[in-house]
Amino acid sequence: MITLEYITLGTGILLMLMGIWGLFTQKNLIKIVIGFTLVDTGIHILMVSIGHIKNRTAPIIDDAVNASEAADKVVDPIPQAMVLTAIVIGLGITALMLTFVVKMAKDNNSLNVSNFKSLKW
Amino acid sequence: MVAPIYIVAIALGIAFSLGFFGKKSTGFATGLFYAALAAISFISVQWFTGFIFNGQSSTEVFTAGLKPPFSISLQMGLPEAIITTMINLAGFMGAVFFADQLKKYGVHLMITYLLLIMGLNVIVMTRDIFNLFVFLEISSIAMAGMALVTQEKKSVQAGFKYLIATAIISALLLVGIILTYNYGESLYINDLLAANLTGIKAGATAIFLILMPVILELKPFPANGWGLDMYQATHPVVGSLLSAASATASIFVLYKLAPLGGDTGMQVIAVLGGLTFVASNLMGLKQSHAGRMLGYSSIAQTGLVMMVIGLQPVLGEHTLFIGFSILLTHFLAKAGLFWLRGILNTDKLKEWGKLRNTPLLLFVFVLFIVALTGFPPFPSFFGKWELVMQLANSGHGWWIAFILLGSLLEAVYLFRWVGYSLKIKSKEQTEQKAHKLIPVYLFAGILLTSVYFYLSHFYPDSMMQYVPLAFVALMFVLEFLPAIIKNIISIGGMAAYSWLLTDQYLGEDNLRFFFALIFLVGGILTMIPGFRQKGKRVGFYPAAVMMYAGLAMLISATDLLQFFIAWEIMTLGSYLLIIRGKRSIKHAFSYMLFSLGGAFAMLAGFGFAQAGNPGIGLDVLANMTYLPHLTAILLAIGFMTKTAALGLHIWLPGAHAEAESDVSPMVSAILLKAGVFGLMLLFIGMGAEAAGGHPLVIALGWLGALSALVGNLAASFQEDAKKLLAYSSIGQLGYILFAFSMMTHLGWLAGLTYVAGHASYKAILFLGIGAVVIRTGTHNMYQMGGLIKKMPLTFIGVLFAIITLAGIPPLAGFAGKWLFYNAVIMKGWYLQGAIVFTAGIIAFLYSFRILYAVFLGQLKDQHRKVKEAPITYLIPMFILMVGIMIFSAQPHLVLKPLGNMISGFFPSNMLDWNGGTALTSLGYWNGFQVAVIIMIMFAILTGWLLLTSRKAKKVGQFNIVYAAERPERPETTHMAYNMFAGYNKAVGFLAAPGITNIWRKIDAFFHDLGDWMRRIYSGNAQSYLIHIVAYTVIVFMIINFGI
Repeated sequence: MITLEYITLGTGILLMLMGIWGLFTQKNLIKIVIGFTLVDTGIHILMVSIGHIKNRTAPIIDDAVNASEAADKVVDPIPQAMVLTAIVIGLGITALMLTFVVKMAKDNNSLNVSNFKSLKW
Repeated sequence: MVAPIYIVAIALGIAFSLGFFGKKSTGFATGLFYAALAAISFISVQWFTGFIFNGQSSTEVFTAGLKPPFSISLQMGLPEAIITTMINLAGFMGAVFFADQLKKYGVHLMITYLLLIMGLNVIVMTRDIFNLFVFLEISSIAMAGMALVTQEKKSVQAGFKYLIATAIISALLLVGIILTYNYGESLYINDLLAANLTGIKAGATAIFLILMPVILELKPFPANGWGLDMYQATHPVVGSLLSAASATASIFVLYKLAPLGGDTGMQVIAVLGGLTFVASNLMGLKQSHAGRMLGYSSIAQTGLVMMVIGLQPVLGEHTLFIGFSILLTHFLAKAGLFWLRGILNTDKLKEWGKLRNTPLLLFVFVLFIVALTGFPPFPSFFGKWELVMQLANSGHGWWIAFILLGSLLEAVYLFRWVGYSLKIKSKEQTEQKAHKLIPVYLFAGILLTSVYFYLSHFYPDSMMQYVPLAFVALMFVLEFLPAIIKNIISIGGMAAYSWLLTDQYLGEDNLRFFFALIFLVGGILTMIPGFRQKGKRVGFYPAAVMMYAGLAMLISATDLLQFFIAWEIMTLGSYLLIIRGKRSIKHAFSYMLFSLGGAFAMLAGFGFAQAGNPGIGLDVLANMTYLPHLTAILLAIGFMTKTAALGLHIWLPGAHAEAESDVSPMVSAILLKAGVFGLMLLFIGMGAEAAGGHPLVIALGWLGALSALVGNLAASFQEDAKKLLAYSSIGQLGYILFAFSMMTHLGWLAGLTYVAGHASYKAILFLGIGAVVIRTGTHNMYQMGGLIKKMPLTFIGVLFAIITLAGIPPLAGFAGKWLFYNAVIMKGWYLQGAIVFTAGIIAFLYSFRILYAVFLGQLKDQHRKVKEAPITYLIPMFILMVGIMIFSAQPHLVLKPLGNMISGFFPSNMLDWNGGTALTSLGYWNGFQVAVIIMIMFAILTGWLLLTSRKAKKVGQFNIVYAAERPERPETTHMAYNMFAGYNKAVGFLAAPGITNIWRKIDAFFHDLGDWMRRIYSGNAQSYLIHIVAYTVIVFMIINFGI
């Protein structure tokens, strides 16, 4: 039976592969950045799916789950915390990358990655 | 102690609060920014000193009061304290250097800068792999942001490439982290180490995905194009941070995490590091852009440290010392070099001659390069030494070869650069801003201070050995004095030290006494011409004293390490001396490369020699157990690069001929003997008489004979008087090599006689011809002639030396020849002997040529006002002549004690003395008798000539019929031009530059290979991403499925 874990796992890996394909084949700088965000998102989904434990709820202690029984009722909180941090970092990186792309596009009037080869060897 | 968590708190807190400052309060913000950097530097320094001086124990801080994995832990032990101190020091000093940019970009740059330094601190201290990921990302973002400080198209591109590459690397790391967490159920490094994840296949993959990104952060070849671009295009301060701070932090991360990978992981790290070291240096060969070249060098050095980390299982407890020593030198030198690049503001290597206008900066530049290439007494030398010794002990010869090859390649491009900056004149002044100079000088100061700690660590009880080094340092300090005073001080120091040294060895160890006399007394004599110099003669005295200090230390060295240190000091000093000549740039470069190649062969040889022995005393040469034949060959090659044996000789003619007039005798008459001294030690170690039939020794005999033949032949065909003398040295050293290779009593006696003889007559010749060059302004013999009338005293000196050199009775050369012939006949080396005898006859050709072409024949018009040689040149010449005369008349005074000394090694077939008469089984010889007979013969001949030529008349110089030359274009008709053309036609091919061409091809091969390899860096960001992923996949495949 296809369970939630497999779906998330599959989605994550698929997104990563798509992202890598984009990174390797697309010439447009913005598309390359999109490729990176796909890879990043794929990894995030992968992380969530690995931290998932069947039939448990989100690791938030409130009325539904009190602290004493949390250990038996919630999924592993660490991957969840990690994923939040990773998303924030991914955002920062993407933003800076796009800043660079804007600057490069302004400088050279082009978005093609092959046109930015003045540094080599 | 301030808890390490405050590093994070202070940096983050101030970085965020800086955001509130507007443009108007930049001044206050700047103060706050420096205060923050100072504060975090203070925290790490405080821990560092605490560990060193107060026996502080290491601490671990857990955030939020929880235990891992629910908290993050920061560890502060001695290694962390050292590394964070380094990072913060580079950070603070970089910020000082950066003052202009900080003013321009204001708080934005300050925030970025602080976050970068903080990020690097945390990745060093953290024990949590996810935290590591977070702060790696923070540092990468900050670093990429710094690329924007240079508002150029190129730096923006570099920043983008860097950002996207590190983003992909971090993505890999993230996958690794989540997989590791899945199998190891912790993010805490200590837990993961205990869990031994490599035991299961999936766990091994998880660890692979943790370690591989860490390796990729170190920019391994070939997945490192993005890093190189960053080094090249960004502001020099960013370069210094990348190279000194960021790489240092990343190396520490690898050191921290490497044990996760187990032995397989270590092997992979070692191989990838070694590959990076050699490949980067190979590709560095073709660089003409200073920034990018420094990038290649940085990546190479990081690769070397990576390799050391990977070799942990082999190196054991020595790993930290080796790795740290190399890292420290790299850290100080690279930061300094990048800052210098910022001060000079040029990336064209040939424009670095600007440094000449600021001697102190030039000194610092050379200091950094010398330290970086692993010269003693700087830390990286000791690191490399220990590395080679340990690898040899564990039988890892191939690793040694690899390391030394990489080091040599690095020296090629770095010393080419040194050559440019020492020699190419520039009128441009460099900007002298205090805030830019202070960091450079501070790091140079730290580097110099570290020398003291290293030497006292290795030789706590025998720092006396390093008195000569202190004297060299003194000469650097005294550079401001006029040349004449420095000359007096140098001679005084050398005299005092030679008295100490000879007093110590006389009667105790006459071999060392003999060489001490040649090195130091010869040295003092060759310093006398220096009194002629006016002004300061900047750079001469430290170099000359350094060479003589090296030679003196060579004598008193008691173990391999001391010997090698002395050898390298001597090499460095002589390089700096040789490069002073007007056209010496390429000759000094080739001298340096051959010397380094030889030194590395020696280093490997020393490593093998001490393997299996309890210590590193010089006596291990007598007890080589590990690869004894290869060791002997390596050592012989090392020593023979100095004696310029055929094949390794091509540096000599240019280096000796183009050197300054008073430097030529130093490097020719004296320096070459260092190689002879080394060879003698090797032969004694090999068992002297017992080694007589050793194939290596027989081969060396042949090599000596051929060197004599080719050297003498080539000397005969030179137009350049100093080149003639230089080639003649190759020939003479060929005799010496041959004589020692005979491994008999008489052979060695002849060899030592030649050593002493060559030291004196070659000094006289180079001084005499050097004086002629000074007076006439040319090296070409066909432009000279008739100088006997203008420089009679010089002529007498040169004539005297030539008679000695040619072995014509009655002078000392004949004693050598007589011994030599006896030895050859008794040894039975007839074939080789025939070659050597032929070479001896050829020596007459060049002897005649230099006498005739320079001093006889017609005086040239432009030389009518030429004066006699400077008195400072004549004095040492005549002192040496007196020495030769005493030896010639009373040879037993010298030969007897020498014979007694040799009899310790060769007790059989000795030379017998009967008063002043020497006896062998073949015949006898009495120096005094021979002298008398010769004098009588000359008297008869002269009388007969006077009697028969009473009708001869004097011919005026312009009497064309007798003058043997035509007035216009005299060089084409002058007899001295292309003299011996007939012989050249017949046997000239023997002296054709075949060997030079072979070395040229080797040189071209490496340059072309490097050029071809670097094409992989196409400049395309996308290719670089593919490199990273493909590199990871390939390494994964090799680990899991083999090659």
